[in-house]
Amino acid sequence: MGGISLNYLARRLLVFALTVWVAATLIFIIPRLAPGDPISAMIARMSQFEGFVENADLIIESWRKRFGLDDPIHVQYLRYLGNTLRLDLGYSMGNFPSTVYELIARRLPWTIGLVGLSTVIFFTVGNLCGALLAWYRTPRWLKVMIPISMTFTSVPPALFSLLLVYIFGFLLPIFPQVGAYGRGMVPSLTPEFFGSVLHHGFLPAMSIVLVTFGFWALGMRGMMVTIEGEDYMILAQAKGLKPFYVLYRYMIRNAILPQMTALAVSIGTLINGSVLVEIMFVYNGMGSLIYEGINTQDFGLIQGTSFILIVTSALAVLIIDLVYPLIDPRISLEGR
Amino acid sequence: MSEQRNTHPKSLPEGSVSTRPHKEGGTSTRPFPPRGLGDGGGDRVVLKVDNLRIHYATPQGDVIAVSDISFNLYEGETLGLVGESGCGKSTTAYGILQLVQPPGYIVHGSIQVDGTEVLNLEEEELRKFRWTGLSLIPQGAMNSLNPTMRVKDQIIDVIESHEGKQKDKDALRERIFELFQNVGLPNRIYNMYPHELSGGMKQRVCIAMGVALHPTVVIADEATSALDVVVQRIVAQTLVKVKDEIGVSLIVIGHDMGLLAQIVDRIAVMYAGKMVEIAPVENVYANPLHPYTQLLIDSIPSIKERKPLKITEGITHDPRNPPSGCIFRLRCPFAWEHCAEVEPPPIYVEDLHEVACHLYDEQFEERRTNAHALIANS
Repeated sequence: MGGISLNYLARRLLVFALTVWVAATLIFIIPRLAPGDPISAMIARMSQFEGFVENADLIIESWRKRFGLDDPIHVQYLRYLGNTLRLDLGYSMGNFPSTVYELIARRLPWTIGLVGLSTVIFFTVGNLCGALLAWYRTPRWLKVMIPISMTFTSVPPALFSLLLVYIFGFLLPIFPQVGAYGRGMVPSLTPEFFGSVLHHGFLPAMSIVLVTFGFWALGMRGMMVTIEGEDYMILAQAKGLKPFYVLYRYMIRNAILPQMTALAVSIGTLINGSVLVEIMFVYNGMGSLIYEGINTQDFGLIQGTSFILIVTSALAVLIIDLVYPLIDPRISLEGR
Repeated sequence: MSEQRNTHPKSLPEGSVSTRPHKEGGTSTRPFPPRGLGDGGGDRVVLKVDNLRIHYATPQGDVIAVSDISFNLYEGETLGLVGESGCGKSTTAYGILQLVQPPGYIVHGSIQVDGTEVLNLEEEELRKFRWTGLSLIPQGAMNSLNPTMRVKDQIIDVIESHEGKQKDKDALRERIFELFQNVGLPNRIYNMYPHELSGGMKQRVCIAMGVALHPTVVIADEATSALDVVVQRIVAQTLVKVKDEIGVSLIVIGHDMGLLAQIVDRIAVMYAGKMVEIAPVENVYANPLHPYTQLLIDSIPSIKERKPLKITEGITHDPRNPPSGCIFRLRCPFAWEHCAEVEPPPIYVEDLHEVACHLYDEQFEERRTNAHALIANS
């Protein structure tokens, strides 16, 4: 009993692979549906700066050959898939000769750190608040949390970050307004650098946490109220179990299950939501990288970042899916 | 306490007075000793419910769910509580267990278990009293087990909540295996989750759990309602067997009169929050006195013949606004003016049989004769 059955694991992995494949294909198709091609765009940009490009035809021709744009579309597609699987996402045209992979490798840890940490915080705090809001022993004054968290939930995170920057970066300059670490610092594993990262990360994380935790608190509260009416709750009361034990072993334990599912579903939205927050705080994560790519029409960069974000979301969902049977014994039996 | 005990001479031979009369008396025959209902003769009272009243608050006024009920439960006895849906039998049970859920609340009354007044217990005292004094075998065992806990953990948690952390894990497992054996469950379910068990097995787990701490009184709230007849019978037999072995007193709530007749010693009939008749099970079936009981027994479906349902639906009163006098008079075929004026007090017809109906008042003997003649003719 419990644990993950092979069948379950296989099916989840298949869904993951399918998601990644569909994402890669879409990323391949969509730019090709747009009029024009990246190389003419490149030449156009070059002529903007220099007025006239010598031997433009030759350049176009050699680049088309260099990037394999003259090959039939299915050959391009298969080569693209092969490269993508090896995480060879090509060169960034805006940052040539840096590869997209290099750029992403530099930025991804920051986004994962920011979003991951905020997720852990809002999921824990939100669910704990929600659980306490529904518990009969919780003091009444805590119920003021309900309207407050509802207000926060309805504000977009980017707007909220503006507000936070204004209050805590400008009016009361407790936290730095921009950046991921102190200016002039070199990334290293020293305590000073680590402290600077936390100091800089506080406001961006808070703007994600504050607008999302209310959603989770309200969801949890709703689940707790439902669970309270379950037959096993009456039996738990009749059994004379200790109230705190009933709270976590009977109520939270069961109410958290749908919350986990909701988390898996919302991870994609969450990463997208963090993009704007990163831009607001000039935080050097994936968000600002995508922004940069769009601004400079750097196709390779846009494709690469989108692909990696989709893979990250799919991976997070996969992890939650694999953890789920461990927390809900009824799931592991499925598909045996 | 033991000095008060006084076994009825007919039921047990001289000198065999014991705390667990059913163990010595054997379990094959149903050894219900005839007992007086008052404080006079009879066995030791383990549960004394006095004048219990429970309301459900609604915006339009309080619904009277249980209206001033009094009864005793004797040691080793099985008492059946019957009545139609909504008559307050489950609310009575939950009232006794202190589990009335809001908007329900206990208006007044007294519930004594072995001399302890349950209604006066402080929160922590009540928690400790639960399951050791009173335990519950719930209605709808399908959903009464926590789906994310193994069967063993749900039994262990009740043991450890009341007896502290058990250091000897082997002894604890043996103890649970013994409980399983009592209710006829295989040991392999020890590590299983509730969704891996059948309905009958879950119900047995609930029985095993209910008697795990050897409580004074066990209340089985429609413990068999959700099961098919075969499993119903097995579970009911298990219940009686375990009750006899462990020597607890049992209240069985149900609406299946046929099943109850097989397992209980005494039956209390409830109507609209009132207890209208309470009597040894043989009397209730052979000689029902209250018009409601008569109708109820007439309505037991028979597989041999088709007969019309005698109890008419729909003429029930507003539970917020009960009629004056007798609660049953709106549906009673024998009601007359007096029933609207005076509420019938409990009348002791024989020393075991109590009924709340004016027909059994000495001064209305003529009406009673007529009524019984009417029944005989129909």
